[in-house]
Formats: sequence, structure tokens, C-alpha cells
Amino acid sequence: MENESYVKHNCDHYKDSRYDDLNHRKYGDKEVDVCIVGVGAAGGVLAYELSKAGLDVVGIEAGPFWDPQVDFASDELHAYRLNWQDTRLSDGNDALKFGPNNSGRGVGGGTTHFTGVFYRFHKSDFRTKSTDGVGEDWPITYEDLEPYYTKIENDIKVSGPKQFPWGPFNGPYPYPEREPISAWAQVFREGCEVLGIRSSVPPLAILSAPFDGRPPCTNRGFCNEGCKPNAKFSTLIHHVPKAIKYGAEIITDSMVTRILVDQDGKAQGVEFNHDGSYYLQKAKVVIVSAFAVETPRLLLNSACSQYPDGLANNSGLVGKYLMTHSGHDIFAKFDEEMRLYKGTPVMACTQDFYETDPDNDFLRGYTLNAHGDRPVALSKILTADAGYWGKDLREKMLDFNFYSQITMVGEVLPQKDNCVTLSDQKDEYGLPRPKVIFNYCENDNKMIEHGVEKANQIFKARGGKPTFVAADTGHLMGGCRMGDDPDNSVVNGYCQSHDISNLFVCDASVFTTSGGCNPTNTVLAIAARTADYIIQMGKKGEF
Amino acid sequence: MEKGKTYYPDFDVLDSVKEWDPVTADVVLKRLGPFPPLKFLTDEEESKLRVICKHLMYDNRDEIFDWVIHSIDARLNDKTGEYQRSSKAPPEHILVREGLKAINDLSRKLYDTDFLSIGVQEQFDIIASLQVGEAAQIPQWSQIPQKDLFDKLLILTVAPYYSHPTIWSEIGYGGPAHPRGYYRLEIGLADPWEAVRKREGNKGDDDGGE
Repeated sequence: MENESYVKHNCDHYKDSRYDDLNHRKYGDKEVDVCIVGVGAAGGVLAYELSKAGLDVVGIEAGPFWDPQVDFASDELHAYRLNWQDTRLSDGNDALKFGPNNSGRGVGGGTTHFTGVFYRFHKSDFRTKSTDGVGEDWPITYEDLEPYYTKIENDIKVSGPKQFPWGPFNGPYPYPEREPISAWAQVFREGCEVLGIRSSVPPLAILSAPFDGRPPCTNRGFCNEGCKPNAKFSTLIHHVPKAIKYGAEIITDSMVTRILVDQDGKAQGVEFNHDGSYYLQKAKVVIVSAFAVETPRLLLNSACSQYPDGLANNSGLVGKYLMTHSGHDIFAKFDEEMRLYKGTPVMACTQDFYETDPDNDFLRGYTLNAHGDRPVALSKILTADAGYWGKDLREKMLDFNFYSQITMVGEVLPQKDNCVTLSDQKDEYGLPRPKVIFNYCENDNKMIEHGVEKANQIFKARGGKPTFVAADTGHLMGGCRMGDDPDNSVVNGYCQSHDISNLFVCDASVFTTSGGCNPTNTVLAIAARTADYIIQMGKKGEF
Repeated sequence: MEKGKTYYPDFDVLDSVKEWDPVTADVVLKRLGPFPPLKFLTDEEESKLRVICKHLMYDNRDEIFDWVIHSIDARLNDKTGEYQRSSKAPPEHILVREGLKAINDLSRKLYDTDFLSIGVQEQFDIIASLQVGEAAQIPQWSQIPQKDLFDKLLILTVAPYYSHPTIWSEIGYGGPAHPRGYYRLEIGLADPWEAVRKREGNKGDDDGGE
């Protein structure tokens, strides 16, 4: 059956077409080389790289195989389905919010609804213990990741400035920056200019020119709701269709409930649930790419007689050192119309406050992103995060078109007590729900205070009136951190479990520190590097 | 009051509906009704919830809240998940159901009559006391954390409310834009189909009443 759909044309990898049952599995009872749990940002890259290298790959995704033309709408409420909706218990003084804030569901995972911001980490991000005495050093350096950043940016044609002022890579990016920028980003840059703060347009995984059959961005603004024109990159539309073409099988609507181990303590595959029935997928290598809550949860829920505390958990650190980014949203009202709804969500930024500054009363730093918004997101910020309702809310929202927004992406220091554990409440599979505890530390709070003040200064320098600030967070990282010491980390620098050599964890949960910028590029670069390592293992006959 | 306070009295986002992709148009137009019967909420719950939703949004137009109630009902009837909740709070459908009962009991304790029979100001006072977790003590609060209840009611209301095209028009939101897109982005520029500001005065300066 011919399938003309851009995204799904390679989905017809079965004989005739795609089936909604599991009676036509490509590998069935056979053992494949690699089984990937979660086909999101990292899982998509892994499926692509490993299948391209000739390995037999199965990716198992809890959510559906989205078709942007049918499943996405230009609508915020409708887009809730792109988020991981399963209930997590969330506690702590700064209890985290999930769903649209950070967690994706369905093929593409969070990349279907991320803003497309595509920074590289700075060199210092990998060495915070050595340079600042906080956090922990990664087992890898910027230089280890550099070729993979370059590869990913070229593979997906990141659009960015010809000269980016901060960090180790200053451009040019593969595709030219998108232009023009929206009014709300323009006032950000003008305010920065007045204060002598450097600003730039950000690198974006959003096309400024046609590529690979996809059109450039139309400034429709719904990056967080799923890109219908396919101008914004996601693994759903880039890596996964290509992986399928190389032979990978993507099983969707299937929740992996357990990783299985053999008598020797090696991973031997996974158990998954599709429509109420359980199935097995045997594999020589298992990679867990289910993101910072579900990955530790699955490892903990896979406890067995050989590993009573959960898999890959001899260190006891599975689920520990969970991080987010402080993501306070700062709003100012302008006399002119800003129209936050136009353009991609982030169109200007500064990283002038990224590195540790001895004049500050905190260590490490943050990015400020000029940020667009739509009515539901803004009203949720005003209500859930800032506490407005009734007349106050109504009046604030009538000024919708006059706000400019700056969103902070602040480094959060890793703390062992910020963690994912298993609760005593069960989900529909009978598995314990994850319980997440999060508190900011003093350094985090001082940094937030600094970032909010700096954002308000930028607004005021351009004539904006600071109007409200909402406590918010963005992204999740950590929970299965990488390190050289098996007692102090879950995986090594190649995302390989210290305890089980054919079990990998590859997603943002391996982050040792959070960095002070949007993490997706780093997730993809780590995945590409892990894929190379697994390909080499295969060539050496190590699995 | 609503039209009186908008900067954009002439703007109707639905004038562009023919430019929207069919999936989006279908999603948005369904918000205008008619709506199927409620599946989760009882009539009694619905009438209490409707009043609370109106107060939370400071708006009295039933045609908007027909949609809001429909949306909340669908959400409470769908057990897919609620992203997160405090480990002290029950699942959202129980939180709302028991919370509405508790609000009524609170009204009886404070005013000797049902929530729907007390004055608007008293209703506002009850809602405001929940937000800060300082409502008068009744036994239910040990099972229904007040702030969790308030936050849940607010978040369940605000998302559908600000998804209604009438509200979009009032705030001058340009709405869905696929496949057309937006092209005039810079300060002072607007695409010809976007809202044009007609009122210069700040909303606080006019005489529109609730």
C-alpha cells in the first residue's frame, strides 16, 4: 500500500501496511541486536545510527506513532496528548510539574513539543567540581562530545547565527538564522543593547530554508504543540523514518514494564504491555531511553533476585541527583503590541551570565531566553505558577498582546535528595507510580533572584514595566548519572551500566550536571556517541 | 463588561477559520457546542462547579462555561493521568467530587446554607480561603488538601476558558495559523488579518462593569 505521508511513508515496513495489533512483528520471538525502550530524543537517534550500521534494532514506545497532519492541531489544549500524562506523585518544597513542562509521549518524545532551542553546553559544564567546587565532574569533556554536536547539527540542519558569542562553538551554523525576529524578541535585544549585555538569535532546530523535503518555518508559533508544517525538527520526522528505512522496527502504544535478566545477570530483553497483553522482546543489548523519571522507574521496577534493589543500581544512585532548570518566567508590559503568539517560542537570548562570576553570591549561571507564548500557556503561568485568578487574572490576560516574556534557564546543582523513587500507589499496569521529590538549594535560589532582576533590568532599559514573575521550571536531567566511579554513578561515559555490561541508559537521565541552557542538543550528541560505542562493541564481538 | 474592556472590539478570530487546516478548525469549532450529555459530573456537581468556574475566571457568560464544563467533565472522565499530584492528594476526579461536597459543607458551617444559596461575595471568600489553605476547619480537609483543590479547579478551568475562540478574540490573539503563517513580526507590524487595536485607554480607565 502506497503511503504518501511524509512522516509515515517508511512506516509501511511490514509487508503491506502498518497494523494496529502485534501479530505482524518483524522479529517476533527472535533475539535482536538492540532493543531501545522509548523512541524520543535519544531513542530516535540511537535507532537511526544503530540500524544504519546494520544492526537489528527494535524501538518500543509507550505512546502512538504520531502523524502531524492528522494528530497535531494549531491548538494548545489539543496538544496535551503529546505529553506524558501518566500521574507522577510530586512532592517537596519546589514540587515539579511534568507533562507539557518536560515529558513527551509518542514517537519523537519531547522533541515533538520542544521549543527547538539547540545550544551546546559550555566546557565548564562538564567540570563544575574541578572549576567551582560544586556538583560533580562528568566522565567526558566537551571535546569528547564536540564531533557529535557538529554531526547532529549538520544532520538536522540547525539554523543559527553566523557568529554566536558564547561558549566553545561560535558558529557559523549549517543553515542561516531565521529572520526577522518578533517584537517581543526585538525589545529584549534592544534592552540588552542599552545595558551593554550581548544578545543573539539562538541556534534553532527549526528550518530557515528547505531541507530533506521539509519547508522553512512559517512563524506559526506552535512549536510546543507539534509542528504541523514539519519545519521544526523532531526525531519523529527525521531520525525515526530513516531508521525504519534502514530496517528498524518501531513498536508503538506499548509500555515496557520490565527489563529481563538471565542467570548470568545480563539483560536479555524486555517485557511490554500492548492493549492489556504482555509480550517479550529479546535483545543482546537493551538501551533505556525513557527520560529522567521513567528510566529510573523502569530500572527500579525491574528488581529481581539477582538485583533486589533494581537494575544498574549497585551504587544505590538510580533515581538520585534529579535536576531541572530553574525556569522563572518574567513579564513586562510595553506600550507597543508585542504579540507573544507570533514566531517560534525563542527568538533571542543572552548567555552573558552563564559562567561563574566572582561578583555574584552564587556559583554557575544561566541563559535568558526571550520567549513567546500563547493564551493557555500564559494563563497557566499566571494561575498555577503566579497565583492569579478572578478579576486580576482576567485583567492581566486582556493585556496579552502587550507583554514581552523572558524565561530563565538556570543551572540547578545536583543534590542526592532530589530523586525519583517508587511510591506505594499503583498504575494501570499494577506497577508502582514514581514519586519525585524536588527542592531548590540556596545556590539555586540566589541564581533565580539574580536572573529575575537581570531580566527586569533588560525590560526597563527598553521601556517595559515589569508586571509579574512566575516560578517555573524547564527540562529534567539526571537520575542515572554518568561517572567513572561505579560507586558514585550509574553508567560510564558511554552510557553503559557499570553493573550490567549489555544494559545502557541513554537519555537526559545520564546528565551529571544540568548545565545552564536547553539540553536537547546535548541529549542527541550523547546518543550519537553511545551509538558509535555500541557499533564498535558489535564489531569487536562484545555482544 | 467583556466587550467594553477589550482593546479589540471589532476582532473575531473566527473570521479566519477558512484559513485553518481542517483538523484545527474542527477542534476549535467544537468548542461552540452543542455538547453531549455530561459523563462524570452530576447535575448538582455541575451547577456548583459552574459557579466556581465563573468566579475563578470573573466571567458570567454561560455559553463560554458550557464549553468549560464539558471540557472538565471529559477530563475527569478520562483516567489517562493528570501529569502529577501531591502524594497527599487523591486522584483528580475524587479531589473534585469530594472537594465540591466539602465546599458545600463549608458553606453550611459558615452561613448555614448551601454554597449556591450564599451571596457572590461569600462565594468568592470561600474560594479565596482555599487558595491560601485557610478555610474554616471541617473534617474533609484532612482528605482534601485545600490548596490542591483550589489549584486543580483553577487549572481545569483556565485551560478550556482560554481555548475558547470568543476569549481569543477579546484578548486579540491571532489564533491558529497553519498553513497561512505569520510574516510581519517586528514592532509595529501586523499581518492584515490580525487584531487591530481600537481602544487606546487602558482597560482600567473605562466604565465597563462586570
